[in-house]
Amino acid sequence: MANWGMIIDLGKCVGCQACSLACKAENNVPHGSLYEQKRHQDIYWHKVIAATEGEYPAVNTQIIPMPCMHCEHPPCVNVCPAKATVKRGDGIVMQNFRRCIGCRYCMVACPYGARNFNFKTQEDKEYQRPDLPPDLDLGYGSHIGPWPYPHRTRGVVEKCTYCFHRIDQALENGWEIGSKMDGEDGVLPACVEACPTEARYFGDLDDPESMVSKLLASGTCIKLREEMATDPKTRYLPR
Amino acid sequence: MSQAATDKPNSPEPKRSNGFQISRRAFLGISAAAAAVLTVVLALKRPKLAGPVETQSTSALAKNEDGTPKDVLIPTSCLNCPTRCAIRVRKVQTTAGETKVVRILGNPKSTYTEGKCCSRSHVGLQVLYNPDRFAQPMIRKPDAGKGRGTDYDSDFDVVGWDVALGQVANRLGTIAPDKLLILEGLNTTSNEDLIRQFALAYGTPNLFKEEGLETDADREGKMLADGRSDSWYELQSEDETSTKYILAFSAGIVESERPLARNLHLWGELRRSTPNRTKVVAFDPRYSVMACRADEWMPINPGTEGALAMAIAQVIINEGLYDSDFINNYTYGFNNFKTVAKTARFSPESVSEITGVSAESIVRIAREFARSKPAIAWSGEAATSWPYGTFASHAIYCLNALVGSIDVPGGIVYQRYPDYAPMPADGLPITETGISFRKMAELLRDGGINTAIGFNSNLIMSVPESKEGGKWDEILKREDFFYVHVGPAKSEMAAYADIILPACTYLEDWGYESALPGSGYAEARIKQPVVEPFDESRPAARILFDLAGKAPLSGPFSPILSTSETFSEDFAKYRTAPLMPWADFRSVGVWKGSSYSYRQHESDEHFFKTPSEKFEFHSNHLERLLNVRLPGEDTVYPLKLAIYRPVLEIRSGSQNFPWAQEMYLVMHGCGWKNLVEINRETAHEYGIGEGDEVVVESVFGEIEGEARVLQGMRPGVVAIATGQGHFASGRFADGMGANPNDVIGTEYDEESGQPSFFATRVKVRKA
Repeated sequence: MANWGMIIDLGKCVGCQACSLACKAENNVPHGSLYEQKRHQDIYWHKVIAATEGEYPAVNTQIIPMPCMHCEHPPCVNVCPAKATVKRGDGIVMQNFRRCIGCRYCMVACPYGARNFNFKTQEDKEYQRPDLPPDLDLGYGSHIGPWPYPHRTRGVVEKCTYCFHRIDQALENGWEIGSKMDGEDGVLPACVEACPTEARYFGDLDDPESMVSKLLASGTCIKLREEMATDPKTRYLPR
Repeated sequence: MSQAATDKPNSPEPKRSNGFQISRRAFLGISAAAAAVLTVVLALKRPKLAGPVETQSTSALAKNEDGTPKDVLIPTSCLNCPTRCAIRVRKVQTTAGETKVVRILGNPKSTYTEGKCCSRSHVGLQVLYNPDRFAQPMIRKPDAGKGRGTDYDSDFDVVGWDVALGQVANRLGTIAPDKLLILEGLNTTSNEDLIRQFALAYGTPNLFKEEGLETDADREGKMLADGRSDSWYELQSEDETSTKYILAFSAGIVESERPLARNLHLWGELRRSTPNRTKVVAFDPRYSVMACRADEWMPINPGTEGALAMAIAQVIINEGLYDSDFINNYTYGFNNFKTVAKTARFSPESVSEITGVSAESIVRIAREFARSKPAIAWSGEAATSWPYGTFASHAIYCLNALVGSIDVPGGIVYQRYPDYAPMPADGLPITETGISFRKMAELLRDGGINTAIGFNSNLIMSVPESKEGGKWDEILKREDFFYVHVGPAKSEMAAYADIILPACTYLEDWGYESALPGSGYAEARIKQPVVEPFDESRPAARILFDLAGKAPLSGPFSPILSTSETFSEDFAKYRTAPLMPWADFRSVGVWKGSSYSYRQHESDEHFFKTPSEKFEFHSNHLERLLNVRLPGEDTVYPLKLAIYRPVLEIRSGSQNFPWAQEMYLVMHGCGWKNLVEINRETAHEYGIGEGDEVVVESVFGEIEGEARVLQGMRPGVVAIATGQGHFASGRFADGMGANPNDVIGTEYDEESGQPSFFATRVKVRKA
């Protein structure tokens, strides 16, 4: 079984946020409001953050796109009292909305702020997309947890899935998956596909021939908050 | 701001140009800090648990007869900024019979952007499903006041199309043709062609393109040099020759400069290409995304980019680093330029005092620039929106010629456009760019115009002194002034309208788009409706066709025989017929012209359209670049106001799109507003702290905003993002932030008549 990972090249990224928007569209993540933003209640499965250090004029800002890190040792899974958050065999950390009791321990445990609590009411019209089928017409058996569409669940925790529905669909149909050194890319998560600077790569970390493995082998990739020993599978190429 | 702080010598330690700039440890430190920032604050209030989760149906996608889901990708093109990228739109149909547009993707058939599109294009879904769209034509009730406070429900009567168009035609019949002004916001190329044709047929020369508010001075300066309006920076040629060195003069190449998606895509290629990674130096008063991503950020005093360009020219000339082959054979007036550039006033030392960039840096950068070929000097909006902006643009553009980057791969190229089928009676006296801003302002002020039709116009938000009670507000509220707004959704200009005609959005329209300058080769993109027009809204082409049938025209309008219902499609089909068969164009979405040929000036004597038919260095006005003149007393208004355009400012004028709103300022991690960004030292001097509510005041007015105190800003400069401060655009835009144009004064660039948006002094105090 594959071991999915993502590499984000910070030398190419310019913080345009196409990734965040593509994620919102692909996964039907509801938009927030000024009120929700003030209370940190708006939901982002993917966010671009900026961290600044230094004094004028020697300022340095890192613009860092932040999907879920899909850790090898995910702290969120350890703390979940309801077994609602699970690591799949291929390394994707999934959230089961039916099991989630909304305790938010996982949000406290996550060192990357990758998790969001759904405060939205079901009545919010803008946030329902009855057109989106629950399974995008894929075989459904292999998925863990119900796909949140067309009605999302209030009072549970949501997070990035590496667009698992695309990966599963590709596996089912025998399509290529992941970024390619040469030639056309296979199926990719929405954020990787949308990146206009092509700063993101996705693929199988266990396959030595995959592009992500080759980038990893270059030895310069770094992990965010390595001291937490989470061994994230979303990694970064520094500038 | 004390004199000492302004004149503080400033030679930032340059960042290293190659390799990794940040140590692993530092990066981890930052990431830890960032994660701490991100850690979500748990709200105390715990919402009630949702009811039992509904059992999800297995599939809601409708099926075709062959069992495949009704899920299609339709090629069309974006219109959220002037780049107009080719896109594909994913549309699904549910078993309930509902069709919905769910994704927007790039079109890989487009080599211009190589199938990529920027963040703005994704917002298209919310442009289409904007809850504040106009459903029917509306006529203002006689006693309802215009402008701020307009209530679209109670101030207007809903009428039928015939009544509304009849009233517009009546008005056009009662006025002299030159009393009509046509305002053009961001429109499809095909609609632009029709709008121009309508103006010609009706007989008014008064066509104003709002795009010119940002670009006129820059274009005019380039035209002084080469006489052409179609030049642009190529960055990478088709055979992958890349620009090696970029001087960005306050140009947000990866933030707001057109063609944005192409810039973004090529940025990735240029910055990671080995072994010759492109070096980028950003001169900008603000630590913008561009400055942050460049190799070096040189904080510069606002408005001094032109003088800096001359100093760089002096170094290049003194050291003999210029391209003498190009200069000897294809240019005019180089000796004059050389004399001016070599004067002591433009020496790196004296220019250093004006600009704040150290003399050593100027010399070093000039040498690097001249030795790394191909190199380009890119003049941004902030460098040219000044009273002498044309000359600044000219000076910066001349740097490209000095190092021989004109018409070479990776340098400056001259765009070709698709050869569409002809329009009737082309060549009548409307210039390609319409009238200048200054001319339009004079016509309106003197009452030379009493009727206007605005297509997607966003005038009131984008001109200086836009505030309530300001002169634009007064002109648009005049009793004898009759304004017809054609646009899809609520906007500030619609709030001033007597008649609102609901046009459909670009995702419901037929048309074609030409690629912006940048690639050299021509590219055409289709626009085809992804869904049926919302309610009673109609394509702008159809509105013009119907109006042409009712209004008194003195010339021909339509190049083809057609009917009201089919005109928009027929027109796009007719115009693009010489390019490729209609069915192919619809399924591929993109047509590409032949590859670009470089060095055309070597074979074509008439290539440069200047009087001398050569590239002209000659200018009598370059000394003016030394006089940075700002209105207002510096003792009363000690700070300089700089505005900027974030990447998620949707350029169609509206900002009523929650996705764009919530991620508006990426450098500050917030949205739904804009901030008054101010240097820490300066803020401290005025007793302003992070997050304070502050008032920004100029002689022209004042606005309020939240202060953001930061290190990445030149002392003495206040920066505010544009695109916020809407008051009649709908639920997601109104009341968010402030419009910096409210406090900007009207001064013009002397040549082009473009307003100088950056030449305003302000003071900041706590609210």
